[in-house]
Amino acid sequence: MPPCQGGNHQLGALEAPPVKSRNTLHALTSAALVLPGLLIIPGHATGKDRINFQYSRYQEGERNLYGAPSLKPISADVLHGSGIFSLTDRTKFSFGYTQDTWSGATPVTTTPLATDGGNRPYFNNGVVVGASPLLQSNVLLDRDLNPIGRDPITKQSLGVVDTRSVMVMSSASPETRRQATFGLSHEWNEAAINVAGGFSRERDYKSSFGSIGGRLDFNQKLTSVKFNGGYTHSEIGAILDHDSSPYITKTAYLPQIVSRGGSEILQGNRQDWVANVGVSQVLSKNALVDLNIGYTHTNGFQENPYKTMSIIFIDPAELNNGQSDLITGKVRALIEQRPDIRNQVALNTKYIHYISPFNAALHLGYRLSVDDWGVNTHTFDANWVQPLGSGWTLTPRIRYYSQDAASFYRSYLFSQQVFQKQAVDNLGREIFFNPKNPNEQYFREGFFNYVDQNGNLIDDALSRELQAKFISFDAGKLPENFSSDHRLAGFGALSGGVVLSKMLAKGVALETGFEYYTRASSMQIGSGNNSFADFDYYVANAAIKFDIEPTTSLPMGGSSGSSQSHLHSSSHHHHKIPPAGIMFGHMLDKPGDFMMGYRFMYNWTGGNMMQGAHNVADQTIVDQGCSDASPCRFTPTFMNMRMHMLDIMYAPTKWMNVMLMPTFMDMDMNLRRLSGAPPPVPGVHEHTGAAGHETGAVGDTYFSSLVKLINIPGHRVHMNLGLSAPTGKVDIELRRMAKIDGGLIHFGMQLGSGTWDFMPSLTYTGEKSRWSWGTQLSGVKRLEEKNKSGYRLGDMFQATTWGGYDLTHWLTASVRGAYTLQGAVHRDFDVFNARIGPMDFPANYGGQFWDIGLGLNAIIPGGRFAGNRFGFEWIQPVRNDFNGFQLDRKGSLAATWSYQF
Amino acid sequence: MGIGGTGCVNIAPWERGNLAKPQMELDPHPLQSELQSHNYSSREAAPSHKSSSGGGGCGCY
Repeated sequence: MPPCQGGNHQLGALEAPPVKSRNTLHALTSAALVLPGLLIIPGHATGKDRINFQYSRYQEGERNLYGAPSLKPISADVLHGSGIFSLTDRTKFSFGYTQDTWSGATPVTTTPLATDGGNRPYFNNGVVVGASPLLQSNVLLDRDLNPIGRDPITKQSLGVVDTRSVMVMSSASPETRRQATFGLSHEWNEAAINVAGGFSRERDYKSSFGSIGGRLDFNQKLTSVKFNGGYTHSEIGAILDHDSSPYITKTAYLPQIVSRGGSEILQGNRQDWVANVGVSQVLSKNALVDLNIGYTHTNGFQENPYKTMSIIFIDPAELNNGQSDLITGKVRALIEQRPDIRNQVALNTKYIHYISPFNAALHLGYRLSVDDWGVNTHTFDANWVQPLGSGWTLTPRIRYYSQDAASFYRSYLFSQQVFQKQAVDNLGREIFFNPKNPNEQYFREGFFNYVDQNGNLIDDALSRELQAKFISFDAGKLPENFSSDHRLAGFGALSGGVVLSKMLAKGVALETGFEYYTRASSMQIGSGNNSFADFDYYVANAAIKFDIEPTTSLPMGGSSGSSQSHLHSSSHHHHKIPPAGIMFGHMLDKPGDFMMGYRFMYNWTGGNMMQGAHNVADQTIVDQGCSDASPCRFTPTFMNMRMHMLDIMYAPTKWMNVMLMPTFMDMDMNLRRLSGAPPPVPGVHEHTGAAGHETGAVGDTYFSSLVKLINIPGHRVHMNLGLSAPTGKVDIELRRMAKIDGGLIHFGMQLGSGTWDFMPSLTYTGEKSRWSWGTQLSGVKRLEEKNKSGYRLGDMFQATTWGGYDLTHWLTASVRGAYTLQGAVHRDFDVFNARIGPMDFPANYGGQFWDIGLGLNAIIPGGRFAGNRFGFEWIQPVRNDFNGFQLDRKGSLAATWSYQF
Repeated sequence: MGIGGTGCVNIAPWERGNLAKPQMELDPHPLQSELQSHNYSSREAAPSHKSSSGGGGCGCY
């Protein structure tokens, strides 16, 4: 877009102080606005340095299974942290981390409701207690291929046509995805450039991405042109479901399937290229518009490897035999096949208008996208951003979305050929082969006689080894591409929600959002016919945001101000803090002080299995680790636990602080079969395949008050009276596999204690010149006899002492010793747990542990990030005395960040 | 073309008070819109709303 003459003229006038200003105020305002970085770029964030934490919960409603029992619907817990920091006046660094853990039942295919498989109920004492996905089934059809209905529970034929479809649901154990992003941006007076990159990791899908973009401002920043290009590379390694894999036809993907650790892994990769150009234009002093056009080109593996297409194979001989009775179609599940290439174009428009009487802004958006799969979409959305005073803002929003079906979407397909039939030669003889020598063919003559290729009868011993040769369906008679993924169907969706935010003092803002979404095939523009796939979900989230404005934290103002003066002003309330692994170890001093922190703890167990203080042989675990009735069959190979905690601390008075710590946890572990373990028993849970287990979501929430007992120069003592609220789940289940319930996952993989816990501690700290030291006694006392799953974790006592030395005025090194006494689990699960290994038995928890911690604490002394504190500590086990049989402790890492306002 | 024509509007800096308000930002709630677009893209077939930032993962559920 060519710069406007008027704009150039205006810019020229601004570079020199305007002489024609109508009044002094205008002159001052405009003078201020031409200062670098202050001229407002409409529509763009003012770019404060900021840190955000957000938690959200996604919860789907139940799918319609027409009377078959519904499985637990999909839910996802998402933790997000991000930040943006100024490296210089014009250069910013940003990062983001997102972690989501999901579980629940997902559709694996769609079939006619009238099959004898599908969501097959299973019974306990005559009562329906669940449903298993049966991917292979039969369906009765009339001669026009209309399905003849069956009762969804008893599967008895009803004798009347029923054309309804149903999604076949399969439940999944929890899985976690982690994504990290990084960005760097630089701003000139009338241009900006940014580069960004990152990666996303989950067990079966890894992607890396990068992008570069920029902005050019014209016409005194009333017009901005934006452009962006990005590339994503993804690798898929889908572990095919051990349970359903034998019933899935994978012939189209055989070259891509490898076998690892007893699992079949479907491999693929894909590339996405994205280009966007856009323009933002101020239309008036109350309105602006933003237009973007984007192009995405994708090639490679775009299937969802867990979704199959139900194909109903019909024998043409039976269909065309001139009779009029019912025929049977064989329903078989084939992994879906999408095109390898996809091109998408999206046009985004947004109009924003300031509504003066309400001091509100109306945001109206429309989006059109078209692609070569036939998925054309329309999105309309409206937001009303309403400031309410006192820092409150309320934003109701509504959205409507409609998409056309992909050209290859079908709920299921018919194919007029036999799925599999025995091969016959041109004489009509059935063909057999010897599995030990597959190239040699044999033929059956009469009922029991087998002859070789030369017509000679073969002996009995050989004939008993022969297997019939089968010919599979002709894939060439199937469409090239097919998918029954309901996300490629035609449908409409209506959603609405509200965002409420509140700006607190000191640059802290709270934000919460809620959205309800409902999908209906009848809401598609032009109307669809897949109402069996309708569902709804809601999302609730809460976020806390911290503005870290360098100019307000520096008394002199400006980044070039003397850092010495800042140090001086801040040093009086920055006592030395204990090593990172110590919780509740320091207090704020001044009434009104506020501290925000983040604490990460990683706990690693792995290597050998231990009994007491020594390695233990597999056979001993088999014999003694579980119970006499059910010997141990599996044992953990590793377990990682990560804990993310927000550390929010406030000082209402000089002698008392209050503290709130929401936590988020995630864990993963894997198992191996013990050598010498008894063989699998039908009806008993087995751990199979290469995949381990993952859990993750909100953990327990701590809150406490800290009371200062002694505060004399060089010596401080405080007491912490804390409570832990049971917000972490203790009833996470493994999925049902091979017709056997997984039951509750091991004690150690549950996310909380499940009980209200009392957490007192007493801390002494001292310091003299460059030396600092301290000691802490702490404990956890469970306040309830049992949690809702029937057990309670053991109590805990810890004593620790440390010494630190200032290497420089901003860096402290510390050494710490700790003794921990942890009780075993009390009582037991009162609901089903598979009891396959030592981790399922209460006695194999807790013990006595002696650890050494090596730590570093840093406080940034000056500059933009003055006052930010960081701490790291590695905690190395020195001696362990485990209760029962446990995996060895390898160590833990504590990392903290905090900032005092 | 309409945009090209209005590209020449003149709005003096002191008239930009309303445009500079937080509610007038193109994306007043970036945390919310990131979350929404992630949920939409796992349930709908339109190109990812934030495709320029890449990432996303499988959404295989």
